Amino acid sequence: MSDIEGSPGSSMHGVTGKEQAFAFSVASPAVPTDTTAKFALPVDSEHKAKVFKIFSFANPHMRTFHLSWISFFTCFISTFAAAPLVPIIRDNLNLTKNDIGNAGVASVSGSIFSRLAMGAVCDLLGPRYGCAFLIMLSAPTVFCMAFVSSAGGYITVRFMIGFSLATFVSCQYWMSTMFNSNIIGLVNGTAAGWGNMGGGATQLIMPLVYDLIQRAGATPFTAWRIAFFVPGCLHVIMGILVLTLGQDLPDGNLGALQKKGNVAKDKFSKILWYAITNYRTWIFVLLYGYSMGVELSTDNVIAEYFYDRFNLKLHTAGVIAATFGMANVVARPFGGFASDRAARYFGMRGRLWVLWILQTLGGAFCIWLGRANSLPIAVLAMILFSVGAQAACGATFGIIPFISRRSLGIISGLTGAGGNFGSGLTQLIFFTSSRFSTATGLSLMGVMIVCCTLPVTLVYFPQWGGMFLPPSRDIVKSTEEFYYGSEWNEEEKQKGLHQQSIKFAENSRSEGGKRVASAPTPPNSTPNHV
Amino acid sequence: MAAPPPALLLPSILLSCLCASSYGFILFSSLQKTLVVAPSNSTLLNNLIRFLLDEIVSLLFAVLKAGADDITVTWGVNQTLPAGSDSAYKTIKVKLCYAPVSQTDRAWRKTEDNLSKDKTCQFTIVSRPYTSGNNNQSFTWTVERDVPAATYFVAYGQSTDAHKTTNLFEIQAITGRHVSLDIASVCFSAFSVLALVGFFMNEKRKARRTQGK
Repeated sequence: MSDIEGSPGSSMHGVTGKEQAFAFSVASPAVPTDTTAKFALPVDSEHKAKVFKIFSFANPHMRTFHLSWISFFTCFISTFAAAPLVPIIRDNLNLTKNDIGNAGVASVSGSIFSRLAMGAVCDLLGPRYGCAFLIMLSAPTVFCMAFVSSAGGYITVRFMIGFSLATFVSCQYWMSTMFNSNIIGLVNGTAAGWGNMGGGATQLIMPLVYDLIQRAGATPFTAWRIAFFVPGCLHVIMGILVLTLGQDLPDGNLGALQKKGNVAKDKFSKILWYAITNYRTWIFVLLYGYSMGVELSTDNVIAEYFYDRFNLKLHTAGVIAATFGMANVVARPFGGFASDRAARYFGMRGRLWVLWILQTLGGAFCIWLGRANSLPIAVLAMILFSVGAQAACGATFGIIPFISRRSLGIISGLTGAGGNFGSGLTQLIFFTSSRFSTATGLSLMGVMIVCCTLPVTLVYFPQWGGMFLPPSRDIVKSTEEFYYGSEWNEEEKQKGLHQQSIKFAENSRSEGGKRVASAPTPPNSTPNHV
Repeated sequence: MAAPPPALLLPSILLSCLCASSYGFILFSSLQKTLVVAPSNSTLLNNLIRFLLDEIVSLLFAVLKAGADDITVTWGVNQTLPAGSDSAYKTIKVKLCYAPVSQTDRAWRKTEDNLSKDKTCQFTIVSRPYTSGNNNQSFTWTVERDVPAATYFVAYGQSTDAHKTTNLFEIQAITGRHVSLDIASVCFSAFSVLALVGFFMNEKRKARRTQGK
């Protein structure tokens, strides 16, 4: 399918979603290979790659993939770099639990805004500069940790470092310029999952670096400051690599972006309207806050929790905490895979059930984690919790592309922001006050996860049904065309602006599950070929 | 970012006498007052600290700088008790403990009655075999550089009062900041920003040149 280059939402197509995603190569004959192009991978007419060769570094497609996910990974490392070192930092700066909690909230709040701005930056400067600008301008904030000498300073610096998480947007945007939309699902999903792993890797890296610096002779209160130079330098290195080795488009750099005239053919106010008036958007904003959000919160508190509760050494606590974040490498793709599998048999209803089951199980294991009194049980509960929560993230983006075709970009952005907001909220409620211990906080967070996952039972698609209700029997309303067509008014339909939505509607018919084959053709639906 | 205020640490020096292996976990409340410990400060202010095993006799205010100042602790058996009552003691451990004001909102320094779980006293000043009958043994301890700024109190409180407000002294901790670190930080940051600007201008210039051709 041909998308208008740069139209709102196009960069988000297939964000671990459908559109024949989760395939390593484009099998459809409808996407012809451009045989005149001389690239290492087969490309389509726009010179976007049709094949995803994970371990290749071929220029430009695979090189872009690796530059992109590693940049995102680096920003995760620096945003959560303080977490495993909190037992040292809290003594140096005389922090209270309140301060530590507030810093955690601050670290995830900044990116709510920066992610919104990043979309515009990518449109203006291209994803290469968007990524490079963010990563190199946030490097000074990481180096600033060396100056911090009070709670206020600590919170401020963590807030500023958190802005760098907007590299998620540049990462996904950049992939969509390089990879055909038929495989963009897997590409973006892998990049997002591997980037998120940074939250786990940092729990390993920072205590190790701190240990080495201490052995080299520094006192503890100086060593942790020096340790921050490592993520800082990674920022600078990745920024330079992105600038020197990366390119915006398969054919070259910014100068080739003559298609700027085609940007935003659709009106922003309209797509915003359809995004916010669709109740499903808000349900998923809430849900993602309790899958991705709790994952980020846990990244911030888990190392300190194990250090204090079980009297572990700093780097042992770090290793355990790292397994939480590292589970992303398989857990998130697994969630998407499970969602796709369920859809094959049960359609959208299967996807909803899979999401509910994964996220609720995650919540249950979180409750268990807080109650566990012995180390092996706690580690087991933590791993199961991580798989549940991260798989739920993957499963969420298995459903998001179907909520709306017109407003996909904004809905994805709102959902992402919801994730960060959920993280800030849970840290504020459960891990900032001294009213209850971290263990109790974890259990209560688990209870909140279970409760806040219940709204998914309210999601209902007339054409496919919901968790408990079958699809509508109304001949007209039960079609995909009607659902996606209803985002356009008559005037727009006259102009034919809704054609891509109709095409999408056809392609999405597989969400009806196994009953699709017997669906009757509604009498007055828009004809397929106008 | 301002320098930290000289937080008042009232270190409390708890003298805990631990018999090697004969007892299981030991309760704070069960430690008996059989030893008198008197630490004295060799610099700054004069301290008079006499310890009973779980009683503080008296302690004056002192400000001690981590890494620079010393505390000298002397101890001996409380003369009022019958002789031989200290024959069971094997090791003497003098520890630096957090006072309540430094424990609020910081669960990682919480006081628990079960000594093995207690986190009040995290720094050991000295630990050595106990020899009875020899009064006024002493030890001079340089306050270490990883001692955080906090308030400590002496002993468990049965000695002075239940609120542990007396006999506290202050330790001013190092910030961990160094001028060299600050300078390095500024240099790296400047490099990052300048490199970015440099690349950007360079590419703009190249693009203009190719367009001009």
